[in-house]
Amino acid sequence: MSITDWIVLSATLIVIICYGVWKSRGQTNMDDYFMGNRSMPWYIVLLSIMGTQASAITFISAPGQAYTDGMRFVQYYFGLPLAMVVICVAFVPIFRKLNVYTAYEYLEQRFDLKTRTLTSVLFLIQRGLSTGISICAPSIILSSLLGWNIYWTNVFMGGLLIIYTMSGGTKAVSYTQTLQLVVIFAGMFLAGWMVVKLLPADIGFKEALQVSGKMGKLNVIVTDFNFKDRYNIWSGVIGGFFLALSYFGTDQSQVGRYLTARSVTESRMGLLMNGLVKVPMQFLILLLGALVFVFYLYFRAPIFFNEAQLKKTRQTEQGPALQQLEQQYATLGDQKSAQVKELSAALATGEETVIAAKQQALAQTDVTAGKVRKEALELIKTSDPTADTNDTNYIFLHFVVNSLPRGLVGLLIAIIFLASWGSIAAALNSLASTTVIDVYQRMVNPHATDAEYLKVSKLWTLIWGVFSILVAQFATGLGSLIEAVNILGSLFYGTILGIFLVAFWLKNVKGDAAFMAALAAEVLVFIVYKLDVVSFLWLNAVGCILVLVLSLVFQQFNNLKAKRLPA
Amino acid sequence: MTTKDTQHEKPPLFSKWRYWYLLVIAWLITQIILFYFFTKTFS
Repeated sequence: MSITDWIVLSATLIVIICYGVWKSRGQTNMDDYFMGNRSMPWYIVLLSIMGTQASAITFISAPGQAYTDGMRFVQYYFGLPLAMVVICVAFVPIFRKLNVYTAYEYLEQRFDLKTRTLTSVLFLIQRGLSTGISICAPSIILSSLLGWNIYWTNVFMGGLLIIYTMSGGTKAVSYTQTLQLVVIFAGMFLAGWMVVKLLPADIGFKEALQVSGKMGKLNVIVTDFNFKDRYNIWSGVIGGFFLALSYFGTDQSQVGRYLTARSVTESRMGLLMNGLVKVPMQFLILLLGALVFVFYLYFRAPIFFNEAQLKKTRQTEQGPALQQLEQQYATLGDQKSAQVKELSAALATGEETVIAAKQQALAQTDVTAGKVRKEALELIKTSDPTADTNDTNYIFLHFVVNSLPRGLVGLLIAIIFLASWGSIAAALNSLASTTVIDVYQRMVNPHATDAEYLKVSKLWTLIWGVFSILVAQFATGLGSLIEAVNILGSLFYGTILGIFLVAFWLKNVKGDAAFMAALAAEVLVFIVYKLDVVSFLWLNAVGCILVLVLSLVFQQFNNLKAKRLPA
Repeated sequence: MTTKDTQHEKPPLFSKWRYWYLLVIAWLITQIILFYFFTKTFS
């Protein structure tokens, strides 16, 4: 990175930290600290919800996903608007009416203490580990691309935000997320504009779309049904609905966001607006990836986007073979560059037969290049069996670092930090609120003063921050981290959602039956995952349905047992 | 505590919340249809 990039990066991060600290003033009790005095307007709730969900990986991985697999990943978000509606109808009024700090408090009122504790512990395990992985995932990519030390990158990625999250609580989190999202959207828009600008002079946005579409990257809708396929319209609407319902309805990192709103109306409006804008936002981020794909048709792409791993392999005994493959790949890259120019010229004439012929020729070269790349990946794996040969997350940042002008590179790197901070800060705030409200206040020290609770809340924010950084340091060797976060979430979310749905809708089910059903469902979800019969997205639906069915069965069993026993 | 107890809080713009919910669902369906044609047009 150039000096200009360093200045842009440092200035952006310092402004955010100072803004967060400035917004931290005047905390006097837990209601201030965890609920922001329930004073947020809907647009802050909206941006906070979006900032919590959109981690660094959203902005790094999604364009890479579109580059490799096309835009069908957007279907993953189709269930989200439907979930927003259900949460507005069923969850928000209950949480607001009972005036809870955490979603899990409600479960004690509806069932009993053990069900509340079980659910909050499941949340703490899942969120605590996944926050560590959320720190680590972008750190690995940045350290690899820019040659930074991974451990120090983890400390900066997860450590600096603790300053304002610890001192300012939820208000600092929400306001910094708002500013962060403004910077993020501006930066991503600039990156999109630059991709088109960097294409040859005769290729505009429309031509780039046409080429991308002909190469199969604009496959937004896939209607084929397959249980093991992650991204089709069915898994998107059904699996995505359960995932979004679990995440927004029962994960304290999100519930804590919309509970800060000043009324039910403001909470609902924040959620519904998220339902309106989320899908178009993801569409645009993926479109950026589809355009980067076109860019690398005109200009040579590396055989593997993780340059650090590539360099390592070059220095092993597989090095000469790899370099030979790189040469072949470069030649094919030049061939693709010539062929894509012919294709866009044909597209301009509109002659279908010529277009089809040029498209086929380009696709054929792309397949051949894919085979050469596959051989290279095998070499990388042979030279280093622990290497992650999935370079999806490196594609967009490789483009940023190598193709964008000075200053913009620094801004894009800052965006990775900001996106990370937004979701991690909300996670730390929710981990602290669950620990303090559901464990410390409920079971350890129910009669402390406001000042004591505030002090303990800040302390737990710090503890969870340090814990997450430690998890990140250990997670560096775990392999595909994005997948790890998604799978981790799906293993627990379904069960937690099931408990809440039983609480809302199955009024005759009591605490014992719900508790037993949750335990049994969690074990069965792990078994289904181990058997590998469905894609992880379906685990949310499996866990939820199991809790609903089993709680009815256990309740029936308990009723029969009660009838048999003498009064 | 500023929360109004309100299953019955009036929504902005519309007279009932259900119209907001319908708007969100209708927008989702519209997007899916638009994306379908987008896929068909450029493939």
